[in-house]
Amino acid sequence: MKFERNFLTGFLLLAALLGVFIQSDYLLHILTLVLIYAILASSLNLIVGYVGEFPLGHVAFFGLGAYTVAILGAPEVGMPITLTIPLAAFVAAAFGWLIGRITLRLNGPFFVIVTLAFAEVLRLLATNWVSLTNGPMGIAGIGHPAVLDMAPWLQGKRGFVAMGIVLAALTFFIAYRLVHSSAGRAAVTLRENNYVAQSVGIDPFRYSMFVFIVAAFLAGLAGAYYATYISFVGPEVFGFPFTATMIIIVLLGGKGTLSGPVVGAIAVTLLEEYLREFKELRLSLFGIIVMAVVLFAPDGVMGYVRHRFQSLFRRTSHA
Amino acid sequence: MFDLFLQFVVNGLVNGTFYALSALGLTLIFGLMRLVNFAHGEFYMMGGILGWVATDRLSMDFFTGLVAVVAVMALFGWLLDRYLIVRVRDKGPEPGILLTIGLAIFLTNTALMLVGTAPHKVAAPVSSGPILLGPVIITEVRVFAIAVSVAAIVGARLLIQKTKLGRAMRATFQDPTAASLVGINTASIYASTFALGTALAATSGMLLGSIYVAQASIGGLISLKAFVVVILGGMGNFAGAILGGLILGVAESLWGGYVQTGTVDMVGFALVILILFFRPYGLFSVRAERA
Repeated sequence: MKFERNFLTGFLLLAALLGVFIQSDYLLHILTLVLIYAILASSLNLIVGYVGEFPLGHVAFFGLGAYTVAILGAPEVGMPITLTIPLAAFVAAAFGWLIGRITLRLNGPFFVIVTLAFAEVLRLLATNWVSLTNGPMGIAGIGHPAVLDMAPWLQGKRGFVAMGIVLAALTFFIAYRLVHSSAGRAAVTLRENNYVAQSVGIDPFRYSMFVFIVAAFLAGLAGAYYATYISFVGPEVFGFPFTATMIIIVLLGGKGTLSGPVVGAIAVTLLEEYLREFKELRLSLFGIIVMAVVLFAPDGVMGYVRHRFQSLFRRTSHA
Repeated sequence: MFDLFLQFVVNGLVNGTFYALSALGLTLIFGLMRLVNFAHGEFYMMGGILGWVATDRLSMDFFTGLVAVVAVMALFGWLLDRYLIVRVRDKGPEPGILLTIGLAIFLTNTALMLVGTAPHKVAAPVSSGPILLGPVIITEVRVFAIAVSVAAIVGARLLIQKTKLGRAMRATFQDPTAASLVGINTASIYASTFALGTALAATSGMLLGSIYVAQASIGGLISLKAFVVVILGGMGNFAGAILGGLILGVAESLWGGYVQTGTVDMVGFALVILILFFRPYGLFSVRAERA
């Protein structure tokens, strides 16, 4: 418990320090990617690690967040970007409620495929509903929050790092409070043994739904952040590559721990950048590494750390 | 007007047969073995690419090539199961999904590296001349492909229902412990099923590569459609998978003909969502197993 809290705070402080002192735009870009992935993976981890279901359509909420910012922030609507970001998270949460109502009644492989079906439907809608989304061409020229223009040192990539740190802090706070609340403990009980949980009065649908909506909210936040940073949104924000990346981050880092997604985000971002050296071989190697992780470190990096240094985790053995 | 409708339905049935064929391997691997196999489309892709290598590069004729491809892919599937899949068996869906996603990424990109993005054509065994059935047009090569599809579907069904191997498979997937108690080598049954699934996927890839094209990047789309077909038909149900494929084919063809062509791919996903909403057992599931 304490270790996780210290780890997350330490990560945020380190990111802030790096954000202040790094001069290279490239390194700031990598730092921003780590922050986006950390938020996204933390939100997926709430479902995978604490509810114990495995959604393959989590990217739907990421994409909805991104498109909300792009559409509401466009000149035709002209809403200030600062306002669209929380709005994007709420839109994603609303869809989380809708999709959760349908999918959480299913389990196992059916849940996996139906959530994927939702993401694919949204991707095809974004490609074909040209009047709303500008179709495959996407929406370009998305602005950034006005706050980032206030101080000269916040301009450019450094401002986005600062924004990412704030959003990541919010994400970690929500995730931490959720996991260590009675709702979080109820969700873990459900994951461990559905029947026991029901026998002590935990309603499976209600608690999974609650966690699902919170996770959708956070994924929407990540999508909004991504949209303002890249300043372009196309149908590929609903694509399978994003899904694959976030799943790999969660499982590589270690599901069911709050620090796992952060470790995974750092590892995967650095790995993707480092593998660029190998040009065409890059993605093949990536595939092999993913398989190797499943076979040799099935609980991820943090799973290994927990196993090795059990004393640090004595109080969190339930989570 | 009615002629056009008939043509759409026939096109849908033809595509539906192909969907059923390409999903057949997944019915075994996902429906029976319960492995959410995201590399299914990549097995299909490998069948197409190897078929191109066999017929075009090594200038074999279609049927010799098909036998060679099936043999290679069955061996590949067998080895995959014995050395990789066996390590994630009975560990819940996640490790299997992640493992097959990794495998899919590896196979697609290795194929892209080796043969490039360009589409390749598998030499077809019959001409592509048209046949007129009253008002409806269909090409010879499609009729041939349907014949092969039906043969493969019937063959696989007979194998599972009538042979000793098939009986051992059904016993293993009903209760592995009891199956091994009566002397069934379950490890070998799992590997055989996986090899059969892989070979079926490769067969459909090669066959459809002779009608459309074989492409290194097709895998993802095929996987998704195959999942739709298997769920529509009910898990592990052969007859259901065929009906699921036909329903998907006709629905897509009618939607594309009368509503909008751009959103055709959406039909299958919408069908899956609706069907699991109203019939959580799948359309034709024989086992009373809730989704």
